[in-house]
Amino acid sequence: MKTASNINIKNIYYPPGGILMWIIIYLELITFSLALLAMVYYSFKAPELFHNSKLLLNPTYGMINTIFLLTSGLFMALCVKTLKLKNKQKAKQYLLITILLGSFFLGLKVIEYYEKLEAGLNMGYNTFFSFYWMLTLFHVIHVIVGLAILTSVYFGIKKETSTTNIDDIEASATFWHMCDLIWLLLFPVIYLLF
Amino acid sequence: MNKTEIITWGILIVLTIASALLSGIQSKFTILLIIVISALKFIGVAFQFMELKNAHVFWKAILLSFLIVYTMLILIII
Repeated sequence: MKTASNINIKNIYYPPGGILMWIIIYLELITFSLALLAMVYYSFKAPELFHNSKLLLNPTYGMINTIFLLTSGLFMALCVKTLKLKNKQKAKQYLLITILLGSFFLGLKVIEYYEKLEAGLNMGYNTFFSFYWMLTLFHVIHVIVGLAILTSVYFGIKKETSTTNIDDIEASATFWHMCDLIWLLLFPVIYLLF
Repeated sequence: MNKTEIITWGILIVLTIASALLSGIQSKFTILLIIVISALKFIGVAFQFMELKNAHVFWKAILLSFLIVYTMLILIII
């Protein structure tokens, strides 16, 4: 595996993870924030409906999922740092923990979705739940894509004759952290505010 | 070696638990606190975990501008 990168991230054209990844991040953040602002606007118009609907959510699920994602973000950051120090064995362990915690996030989300559907709180229930399903499902898709990328990186660095280099891993890590960032915007608005 | 990342993670977890506990209190001030806490967590992840602290000032400025505008709009609408 190639471990050395000659890229200077102080250069405006080379942010950590690559310029294309950061363009995607900004576009994603703008998309999600516009949807969240629309949600807050609708809550202003129907505060009681949003408050009563929020009470039907379990904020503990949201909090535990935030902890899962933040902890997986920590291990992802440690993985990149360790790889830069050429400790491949340790980096593989950190990456595996990252993937595991991401899977825990998905597992808890499945339990939460199952409970909501059992209670009849589907996308057409009311405006709050339309936003809830649309935003959280769109985020879950990002997490699934992120996990697929990280799994491919894991098998990539596992090989002795791997062509996966540190720049590829940094770009994957940046995508994974983006899932964190989006969730940090969703969690307070959906689970805590109204 | 990994002290900065672990300290950042510790702070992020404490802030997450604090915001969840705060949500039980109904007031305008609580909403402000929850939004500010989430903005701080966002900065923690972007600057420490994503290494934005080492990037060109343009990338830091654009992310912070987004965060400030978004936070202000949420607070204005609420």
